[in-house]
Amino acid sequence: MSKHKHASAHDGHGHEQPVAGSHAPLGAAAHGPTDSTFITIFLVLAFLTMVEVMIPSVYDAPWNQHTKMLLLVILAFSKALLVALYFMHLKWESPWLKRIALVPAYMGVAAILLMIETAWRNTLS
Amino acid sequence: MSSTASVSHGGHGAHGAADAHGHDDIAEDPHVGKATGGKVAMWLFIAQDGFSFGGLLLAYGILRIFAHGDWPRTGMRPTDILGINLTAFATFLLICSSLTMVKAVAASQAANKAATVKWLAFTILGGLGFLSIQAYEYHHLVGEGIGFATSTWEGQPINNLFGSTFYVVTGFHGLHVFSGVVYLFCILIGTLRGKYTQGGITHSPVELVGLFWHFVDLVWILVFTFIYLL
Repeated sequence: MSKHKHASAHDGHGHEQPVAGSHAPLGAAAHGPTDSTFITIFLVLAFLTMVEVMIPSVYDAPWNQHTKMLLLVILAFSKALLVALYFMHLKWESPWLKRIALVPAYMGVAAILLMIETAWRNTLS
Repeated sequence: MSSTASVSHGGHGAHGAADAHGHDDIAEDPHVGKATGGKVAMWLFIAQDGFSFGGLLLAYGILRIFAHGDWPRTGMRPTDILGINLTAFATFLLICSSLTMVKAVAASQAANKAATVKWLAFTILGGLGFLSIQAYEYHHLVGEGIGFATSTWEGQPINNLFGSTFYVVTGFHGLHVFSGVVYLFCILIGTLRGKYTQGGITHSPVELVGLFWHFVDLVWILVFTFIYLL
């Protein structure tokens, strides 16, 4: 695992080249993730999934449904972010690829607008 | 965006090239760095596909909000009907397959054909396992009365939109998993023929299928929460 710590090397012509097996994707910065990074992310994802599965039974009462919803949404987006940043290498990509990846976040804005509108309609009725 | 990913050595076919020393030779683009055209295209596809899933989940949210608690029936929650433990296991399978996909990409970068084939095969198995669980779940739910258009539970009618939205969202994701498995299988065949483990940027198609596969995993994380757990 640690043998991949240095994700780049010089090819003798003065050019920096990714080292085979370094996991640095094409177009990514030279300092990529290592095997241990991926295994850590995998374990974190598995652990968070276990926590997620337990939450509906822990927050079962009608009065703490909002807490349940908030916790589950935070956990889901945290897990999705981990997958995007590490497994999809977004953390090491160029700013333009990050911007492309960020475009669907507009749907999150739409969801927030929807919630505001719903809350507003509820206050009217 | 100016010229992305021009390859100056064309000796290894359409997927990119490496020189005699296995070095990448991709022109640095001021916007996307050394990303290949294929990678930029895959990210654009993922972004638009994100909108598709976002639209479906948003529509689901709107329908559910205006059901005013009648989801699937007043006094019941989705967790009362859907098999959370089995689906959690399916989620775990997809996470495992994301890890094996990462290993496959690393192996192809290291020009290790045997390891690439092994990890791609494990990833395909993970996808097939997920699809099998989904097929079992659909069979079970249809048998219990949860239909595509009209639904009942224990003989009593429930909100029909519960079943409709469930099958549309999870089915759309399932089609992505199926497409991913077919895509992975094609890449596996190419790897067996030695196309993607020649060093340099020849591993690029493995990286692209990896991006798609991780996206499928990412979407499922959100679908699992919004459809099953909330």
